[in-house]
Amino acid sequence: MKNNKTFTLLIVIMSTIFLCGCWDIKDINKRSLPLVMGISKEAEEEYKLTLQIPILENENQISKVVTGKGNTVASILGQIRTNSEDAVDYTQIRLIVIQSNLAHSEKEFKELIKFLMVSKEIPSRALVAITDESIEKVLANINDKLGVQATSIYDFFNKGGGWAPEMFSIPIWEVYRSAFLFTKDIAIPVVRSGKDTVLVFEGSDILKKGNIIERISPHETQLINVFQNKNEKGKIESLGFASIMVTNSSIQNKTSMKNNKPVLSSDLKLKMYILEREEGITDNRIRRELEMLIEKRFYNILKKTQERNADIFGFGQQFQHMLSYNELKDWRNVYYPNLKVNFKVHANME
Amino acid sequence: MTNRIQIGVIFIIINLSFGYLVYPNLIYTLAKTAHWEVVLCQAFLQLLLIWIYFKGLSFFPEKDVIDIYLKMGRWFTFIFLTPLIINLVTLFALNIRLHTEVIISIFLPRTPYWSIMILLFFISIYTAVKGLGTILRSSVIIFLIVIPLVLLNIFTSVVNFDVHNVTPSWSLPHKFLFNIKFLYLIGFSSFLFLGFISSNTKLKLRHLLVPWVSVTLFFLTVVYIPLFIFGQEAVVTLNNPFLEAMDSIDISWFSFNRQAIFFGVSLVGLVILTNAVLLWMIGQIIQKMLKRQKEELSYWMMAISMIAVILSIFIPSKSLIEKYFLWSTNVQAFFMFVIPITIFIYGFLAKRGVFGYEK
Repeated sequence: MKNNKTFTLLIVIMSTIFLCGCWDIKDINKRSLPLVMGISKEAEEEYKLTLQIPILENENQISKVVTGKGNTVASILGQIRTNSEDAVDYTQIRLIVIQSNLAHSEKEFKELIKFLMVSKEIPSRALVAITDESIEKVLANINDKLGVQATSIYDFFNKGGGWAPEMFSIPIWEVYRSAFLFTKDIAIPVVRSGKDTVLVFEGSDILKKGNIIERISPHETQLINVFQNKNEKGKIESLGFASIMVTNSSIQNKTSMKNNKPVLSSDLKLKMYILEREEGITDNRIRRELEMLIEKRFYNILKKTQERNADIFGFGQQFQHMLSYNELKDWRNVYYPNLKVNFKVHANME
Repeated sequence: MTNRIQIGVIFIIINLSFGYLVYPNLIYTLAKTAHWEVVLCQAFLQLLLIWIYFKGLSFFPEKDVIDIYLKMGRWFTFIFLTPLIINLVTLFALNIRLHTEVIISIFLPRTPYWSIMILLFFISIYTAVKGLGTILRSSVIIFLIVIPLVLLNIFTSVVNFDVHNVTPSWSLPHKFLFNIKFLYLIGFSSFLFLGFISSNTKLKLRHLLVPWVSVTLFFLTVVYIPLFIFGQEAVVTLNNPFLEAMDSIDISWFSFNRQAIFFGVSLVGLVILTNAVLLWMIGQIIQKMLKRQKEELSYWMMAISMIAVILSIFIPSKSLIEKYFLWSTNVQAFFMFVIPITIFIYGFLAKRGVFGYEK
């Protein structure tokens, strides 16, 4: 019996021999973890890929920007890996900035998103943003201002409730999904490098079935957020003669079908707080003007998007239970252009 | 009493293990809307088959499936159970390989697959050789480790849900009922092992109701989590929808930022126990069919599992694994219909005294 136990112990100890198999493992301190990736491609040229990589070496924390060129994104990723002194691990990428020329060429953009989604290494949770500037400039700016702290770029897009209601974030998987959805289109945030801040939010690009069709301003972007049930709290509106801050908002939608045409009545309730006003301006006037401003803004986007058959507000999602699966397929082309929306804003003083 | 709980636990674990990987893809190809109908129909079919199985087994107290087949006749046993052994061996091999591929793609991208596979094989063979008692006891531990992870996966994925991605509907008529693929689905809900342990447990159908309900709920979540996140159209383009759904979840508030890691860890636990049960079933059939001694059994199991190891190592590509895995579950589905029904008919006839040697 005792003999048997020694034998078992021996086998257990011998299993440590397998540890030799780990001789070429790269621990976390031997890896470099890029956080921001920028991709651009001019027509008829090669892809250009830029990475911002923080390097942690004991005390001195430095970061660098690496650029590569190649026929495909995958080949550049491989090439950067070859030329880097550390093992480059792409699994921690937080933000992917795409140059707008590349984003506007339909075929390449779709292929790129598919590659990013399917790729095992690049996480599909990474956020996507579009820029009109050159990729190097944006990444160099991120690198100069944030350096090793580039993970905080995530906070730029996710500010949390009540801080910056215009801002929103879109991960890769949502961009990938939007090319397949019947009844909803999405917007991708557009940024440029800031002079003092790291990035400047410039609005967003509307993506219809995976193709970019239109640029809208931050104000308009914010209206889209409202329809995604995001609170408008914290939004500051300037009416010229007064400024107000929205302290609470809620939206209610009612859907119906009339003569096979979709009708949606939507009520946006706002609670506001007057920050400043010119003398002699009554509460009522501010309220009326604000209601008119937001309604006008809404109908403006609705008209623009209905002409282009892009359901940016995702209204079609609310008709899911009224139309059959096959009818939903034609939502963008048949039903959405005929959609009638009765949008009413009800502003109230706090 | 504990025995019944342990059996219920094993039932849940095996169903979880088979449900995670290929199962959602099959459901998405079967129906474009109202997937829950397919899942529920499959669950009720499973319950019906279990009922027939138990009814058949109840004609022969203190006997398990193999004993009953042996009673029918030796040749009968050979004809029925040899294909079952072959099927179980392939299922055993392919299941491990399939899980290994997914585990590699989640958190061990630079590890060769054979090393992971040998580890998984080693543990499940060890558990199976130690016998039913060990399987039952370890099932509780694995259950306690895995279920919190599964629940964490399910609950954290809620942030990415968009309920509007799923068209709420009834789809009548049920076209899928006439699709042969629907019958194959039953291969994913393993219950055959229940007949192998019936000799020393007095398991009734009502004891299985709670596990059955939880397994059905689990199948619904496995199908609906990717659907709520991606929608039917996008989901059919993905290779492994559940994994992609897990990967889309950002849990940076947690110290681990990859949700999929938990999924991978739970897969390891599930596959080890499932394969231990499969191997133990093979061992039981061989022992009783060839009338071998219990001591000899472990050598048989090791020999069989060596065949499985070789089989699984030599499959060249991932797409082939999935294809073969589907085939073997289809064959499994065939046995899931044939075994309960033959036992039921035989039991029924034997009770009537047709064969003349009843007491």
